[in-house]
Amino acid sequence: MSSKTNLDVLTRQVAYSGEGISVKSLETEIQKERTIQDNKVEELKVLRERNVEIQGAMAEELKKLRKFSDYLNGTATKGGFWAGFKEILSYIPGLGSLALSQRSIEELLKQQYQISARRVKEAAEYVDTLKQSEQDLYKEIDRINVRIVEMAKNEREALNYVLELKNLMEQLKGEEQAVEAGSVEQRDIQASIDKVHAKLAEHSTNVQLYGSAEERYARLKDNTRKLAETIRNLAQDIQQYTTAASIKLDMASAQIQAIGRAADASTVMLEMKRSLDVMTESMNVTTQFVSDTQIFFRSNLDTLIKELDTFDETTTNVLEENLRKSKEVEEARIQAAIEKAVQRGPHGSGAQPAARA
Amino acid sequence: MTVVALHTQALVLPEAATYLELLGRALQAGRLSNAFPDRRQIQGSCDALAAGLRLGVHGELYVDARAGLPNMASLTRVLTDKGVAGESLARMGDRAALESRRGEAEVFARLAAKHDYYVGLKDRELAPVDHHRVLLRRHDPSSGTAAFRIEMTKLDASGVYVRLQIELTQVSSLWRRKAIDLDKDGETAAASDAFRSMVYRCADLDAEALFIRLHGIEGVSVERVQRGVVGPLLFSLPTGGGVQVTRTAEAPDDAIGRAWHAWSVGAGAAEHERPELLAAFATDSAAVDIREERSNDPISPLLSDRLQDAERARYRALRERYPFKVFKDRKFVGTAGLKTMVQAVCAAAGTKNLIYDLPLR
Repeated sequence: MSSKTNLDVLTRQVAYSGEGISVKSLETEIQKERTIQDNKVEELKVLRERNVEIQGAMAEELKKLRKFSDYLNGTATKGGFWAGFKEILSYIPGLGSLALSQRSIEELLKQQYQISARRVKEAAEYVDTLKQSEQDLYKEIDRINVRIVEMAKNEREALNYVLELKNLMEQLKGEEQAVEAGSVEQRDIQASIDKVHAKLAEHSTNVQLYGSAEERYARLKDNTRKLAETIRNLAQDIQQYTTAASIKLDMASAQIQAIGRAADASTVMLEMKRSLDVMTESMNVTTQFVSDTQIFFRSNLDTLIKELDTFDETTTNVLEENLRKSKEVEEARIQAAIEKAVQRGPHGSGAQPAARA
Repeated sequence: MTVVALHTQALVLPEAATYLELLGRALQAGRLSNAFPDRRQIQGSCDALAAGLRLGVHGELYVDARAGLPNMASLTRVLTDKGVAGESLARMGDRAALESRRGEAEVFARLAAKHDYYVGLKDRELAPVDHHRVLLRRHDPSSGTAAFRIEMTKLDASGVYVRLQIELTQVSSLWRRKAIDLDKDGETAAASDAFRSMVYRCADLDAEALFIRLHGIEGVSVERVQRGVVGPLLFSLPTGGGVQVTRTAEAPDDAIGRAWHAWSVGAGAAEHERPELLAAFATDSAAVDIREERSNDPISPLLSDRLQDAERARYRALRERYPFKVFKDRKFVGTAGLKTMVQAVCAAAGTKNLIYDLPLR
């Protein structure tokens, strides 16, 4: 003899979707999702750290360029243009210790510009990476949603089945009350009750597992959404910052070149001035020489002329004296000759040869 | 007016693409020798900029409003992109994967385009903003004499792109501070910082002034200074479906610039349909082996022709101390409308210049 109650419920297959569930499989599934999330968090951490690093460097590089611009506009000078300019130059690696004329400012500024452009570009590249990550997370959310729905459906299936089992149990227990204790019928009903109980235990666990899985997936989804939103906000911040920096750089390129050229031109002018100074120095020496000579001449010319005059007068006197004396000697000689001639007479009778005299 | 910052003009598609295409063809038509900056590199940068605009990686093209050439921001942009391309490609992942997710979000379509742009950049040779190298031509250790060639390519602050080549001989002495240092093997050379910087700073001087400046350095004997200049470029590009034109905004104030302004308000004023472009390529040499001193450049006569009588004698005395002669030349590439204009300028200056055709496609 068998139970009057329909026991088909016990043999019916419950239509759970998916691969079935156990505490272990649920933990494994959740762990898998957590790992994806943890990886994204780690990725985000690295991105954020790298981004902080790049943004810091970028801000520093741009600050240097902006300072140049301020000095050009004359808005940032306390100790005069050159004091400020030297301060700026000291920021540039390798330049602080060098003399101004050693390096081309234009070249250094262009190098600085390229470093800044590279920093901005590196930071901007993270925007796309972040947006890609954000999309990956939304895809993950879609996947989690499928799991949540699946778990909810399975929980409902489990609950419905548990209700059916509960009804069956009540029917069997009622039937058991109606049969004789210890009879075959009672034993048969008890066997069915045991089967129902086993099924109840199994599917009650499923109710718990699917219910718990649904909740845990829902929490994972919330975290994943928060992570995606964080990534999106970070991407937006970086995009805003790098776009502004990039525009500034684009707009400043001609200004940077102009500043560099002006600084170099001033160095070229300084070099030119130095060579002119050398020239001026030699010119000064020459001028001084001419000037000194002129003073010498001016102060000494009169004396010289006077001396020359004196010399001339003395010479003339000497010459005149000489001439006078020469004339006197000559005249004396002539006179002596005349006297001698007179003494000898016209026929020479009374006259004696001079040699004899 | 398209000037967006100091000497900076912004071009957007489609006129930016027309401009880059015409510039590329003008460079090719100009048959540039090695006296000029490397044409392939400039072409590479133009192609990269065109690809960046076409693929939406860049929104606009910045051009120097005076020289009409891509400016420092534009040249730096593609150089920087090339610098980050490898790392970015590695982060982006597979191109096919990006393509397959195109429908998911806008970022994947953009990344796929960027992927194409970076892949295209990887093997492309680009124009440097600055480049400098020293080549050893001869070395005689017994006399301590070494002959060098210094090559410097520079995007000048005036916006033109310059290649400067200097051939010089240096006598090395222990007590002398050398401009160029040879390595221990006597095979490679590097300019000292001070010398390099001086050349860099003086790169916008003409060849004659630079020759005199360098020849004055102790132990250095200069044989040749040669400058090859790409630019300026004058352009007129139809925009808004031929309703308006975008033109070089700050053309230089020389004979060609003035003729250009006259053309813009005269014959060229009605030209709203066809693009027009005129590119100038000038060389300026001061060398010991030039036989006749001459300028065939309609906008840059010899210095001696520009001096007043009072200065000329002093200049002659200065030149007698240096053994070089100067030769200047300029050639052009132009579209039909501007070719006629520049022919008139050359005729007025009495120069006979090569003017190559730039046909429109």
